[in-house]
Amino acid sequence: MGFRNAWMRVRANFRRASDEQDLQDEIQFHLDQETAKHVRHGIPPDEARRRALAAFGGVERTKETYRDGRGDRPLADVGADLGFALRLLRRNPTLAGTVILTLALGMGSVVAIFSAVSAVILRPLPFTQPDRLVALWENNDVKGWRGETAAPANMLDWRERVSSFSGVEAWTNFTEEAIVVGAGDPTALRAVAVTGGFFRLLGVRPALGAGFDDGDTWSTGRRVVLLSHRAWRDKFGSDSSVVGRTLRVDGRDAEVVGVMPGSFGLPSEDTEMWTPSHWDPQDRGQDWFRRAHFMRPVARLAAGVSIEQARAELMTVMSALEREHPRINASMKADLGPLHEYLVGSTRRPLMILLGATGLLLLIACANVGNLLLVRAAAREREVVLRRALGASWGRIVRQALTESALLSLIGGTVGLAIGWWGTRVLVAWQPAGLLPVSNVQPDARVVAVVLMLCAASAAIFGTAPALWSAQRPAADALKDGMRGSSAGRKAHLWVHGLAVGEVALAVTLTVAAGLFVRSYQRLTLVDPGFVTSGTVALTLSLPTRRDDPPQALTAFYDQLLARLRAIPGVEYAALTSHVPLTATGLTMDFAIRGRGSDGAGREVLHRRMSRDYFKAMGVPLIAGRTFEDADGIGGEPVIIINQTLATRYFAGRDPIGQYIANDFTPDSSSVWRRVIGVVGDERQVAVGTPPQIEIIDPIYQDPRTGFHVVVRGRGDPSALFRPIESAISALDPMLPVLSIRTMEGIVDRSLVRERFMALLLAAFAVVGAILAVIGVYGVVAQAAQRRIPEIGIRLALGAAPAHVRWLILRHGLALTAAGAVVGSLVAFAAGGVLRQLLFGVSPRDAFTFATVIAAIVVTGVCAAWFPARRVLRRGASEVLNR
Amino acid sequence: MPESDVLRGTLDLLILKVLSAEPMHGWGVSQRIQERSRGVLDVNQGSLYPALQRLEQRGLVDSEWQVTEQNRRARYYRLTAAGRRAVGQETANWRRYVTAVEYILEA
Repeated sequence: MGFRNAWMRVRANFRRASDEQDLQDEIQFHLDQETAKHVRHGIPPDEARRRALAAFGGVERTKETYRDGRGDRPLADVGADLGFALRLLRRNPTLAGTVILTLALGMGSVVAIFSAVSAVILRPLPFTQPDRLVALWENNDVKGWRGETAAPANMLDWRERVSSFSGVEAWTNFTEEAIVVGAGDPTALRAVAVTGGFFRLLGVRPALGAGFDDGDTWSTGRRVVLLSHRAWRDKFGSDSSVVGRTLRVDGRDAEVVGVMPGSFGLPSEDTEMWTPSHWDPQDRGQDWFRRAHFMRPVARLAAGVSIEQARAELMTVMSALEREHPRINASMKADLGPLHEYLVGSTRRPLMILLGATGLLLLIACANVGNLLLVRAAAREREVVLRRALGASWGRIVRQALTESALLSLIGGTVGLAIGWWGTRVLVAWQPAGLLPVSNVQPDARVVAVVLMLCAASAAIFGTAPALWSAQRPAADALKDGMRGSSAGRKAHLWVHGLAVGEVALAVTLTVAAGLFVRSYQRLTLVDPGFVTSGTVALTLSLPTRRDDPPQALTAFYDQLLARLRAIPGVEYAALTSHVPLTATGLTMDFAIRGRGSDGAGREVLHRRMSRDYFKAMGVPLIAGRTFEDADGIGGEPVIIINQTLATRYFAGRDPIGQYIANDFTPDSSSVWRRVIGVVGDERQVAVGTPPQIEIIDPIYQDPRTGFHVVVRGRGDPSALFRPIESAISALDPMLPVLSIRTMEGIVDRSLVRERFMALLLAAFAVVGAILAVIGVYGVVAQAAQRRIPEIGIRLALGAAPAHVRWLILRHGLALTAAGAVVGSLVAFAAGGVLRQLLFGVSPRDAFTFATVIAAIVVTGVCAAWFPARRVLRRGASEVLNR
Repeated sequence: MPESDVLRGTLDLLILKVLSAEPMHGWGVSQRIQERSRGVLDVNQGSLYPALQRLEQRGLVDSEWQVTEQNRRARYYRLTAAGRRAVGQETANWRRYVTAVEYILEA
């Protein structure tokens, strides 16, 4: 097609009306000339006109050929098809609405979850050459470490010795609530310390100001901070002059050197401030610097080095470090992996499960739509055959069917996109912290492309399948069927039933998965965390202004604080603790029991510091010995309390009370021995779903520090205590902000938010999927029952019991759902392993869940068949009467 | 057999040939083909117009609306430069074709 031709075609579309007039004029002129010629030869005008028309040979046919030749025909036809499709939709709004809503729900859920997947997993990290960045970690088979944080000394050695890395930097694995004064009221910012070259290694420049220098890694460097974009906006009113200003951060002056861009959120999206690590250069050679593991290192691969090469070199260097420091680095190994994978690691599996669930939901939706359209296609087969007989080409008929399904899919997709867009916002707003490591989750071009693809695919399948399927039937058959009023042929039957069974199967798979997560969550809520949640309030305080106070001054302050809190009406106990369970666990240590061999020594024991009344405030039972007393303070005998798990595991058959424990795996003359004075019940420290860890508890009064938490136990509603607690603290010290105040119930609840979120989301998908599947079953049964009305009328007339007739229809629904349930359970059974890692206390092949889901689906399936059965009985009877 | 249908494909050539003499409207073309063929070829007059449309799309003819001597509006077709070249070529093609057919028939 040349340009001219193409232009004429395009122009033709705009000029159709005037072209049509021209064509009319031209033919009229021709006929007039021809008639006039005949009249000139003496033929009467009427006859002349007749001859002219005969010679012309079919005015309308010529016009049609001419119009076809204009080349705008396909477009004009699309218009006609669209009009036809719209008329059909208007004539059957229930069907159209169902199809559109079904598609929209399916696509909407995919859009929402896929947006998250796209943002978290598919989008590259916003760093320079992010695929060259790797995360490093330490493994220790003896200690059972996998992917642990690295010791700073090891990390610095990697930087110096592994030539596969062009740089190694790290962030510290804990977030501190830094108290910042200098922007109105004292405020707490979540701060993370990083080594000086961290931002340069990533290739991220601050949006304002400058970053850190290599020298800032060490305490000889500057006292500076970088603000996150959000903290700058929310806490400093987006004031550019904040750069260069000096703030009081945790009681020390620090200059704000810059503001990071909004897209930067490492280690976490809610990090508000970065500080340099500020290690003392003296520490470099100290044992603790290689013993304490708290860094998350990131390295950039040197040019041309593969991950495998870097791994091999890292392992060699680590072996050398093990030989050089045999005591500290015993059996210590290191490994690395792509940074992106590492960052999304724990998010990937839940997201993929959710994506899989929405995929199942979409499949159910498509099967449902396919079924609805097939059933209708069967009903319209006669129309198609008639049009065919009247000369319509197959292409033309398929095109018309395609237009119709494309229209449905497009409307469905658009509504789905809207639902998905809204769903994404809900997802982001409700997502538990940490599920999505990024905050800018929104449907992007990729998501829209996916939806368009889904639309096109569904349109193609639903549009052509029924038409092609009727194409295979001889016209005579179809017409006969049509005459008889029973329209669907055998093939349609098979398809419709297959789709309904498939739908039920998918719904069963989805519902089983959801059921497992719901049960897992339920199990979690039933776990006894080891402490009493009702009536307890936990609050976090920091004492930056007292950082340099002598210990006696600090304990005096503690006494005042606890006395004030106890004086609040309704408060029974107030106590201090270094860590509130389920929020943070603190450092772990090695330990050894005096007079015992290696069976009396262990690693990775949790450590907390507490004040006297902690166990009473938290309702943790004393199992043996005593708890702390006022005498267990500065200068007193070093004493500790151990938890029951430690007592059972390391003192089996022995009395732990009066035994001595040191914080070294192989104690020497420098070890400090502390006497065990009591054994207390186990608290779940890490997570509700994680068994209690072995734990040693020190009296906080023997080692007072400034950052701590307070637990307050009162009568009645604990949240009613918030205000009195805050005013008591502010009366004691107006510069002492309460960083957070929460009920223990709230803390437990929040610790399960991720599991609850998964369970709720999956349950929602499952409910929608099950409803769609039941609608599918209903549609098939109702259609079949409708066809059987005459037959049933005859049966009734011949004396068949209504119960028997009802059973005929119900049996149909039962057969469909039962077949689907069998297939779906088999799939769920086979695929269950994928979920195992995310389930608590429930096997992925939990018989109860399977049985409940199957029973529920079968019962709803039979119920869905009840309505057509009732209608058929009624109609069947009246049919008989009418004859 | 006083009249015969125009061979498929030759209609375009006939139209081009007729128009090479002077611009003409559709009816004129049909009359001229009839006269020139001495009444042997009876063009189905209706099929002229799609053919003219085709030629116009191929850029071989141009059309414009003019007023006839009887003061009527009529669409006149005229050969373009490309059309003029095409007449020569198509005529040569046709002659070769006819000669070839003659050879076979006389063999």
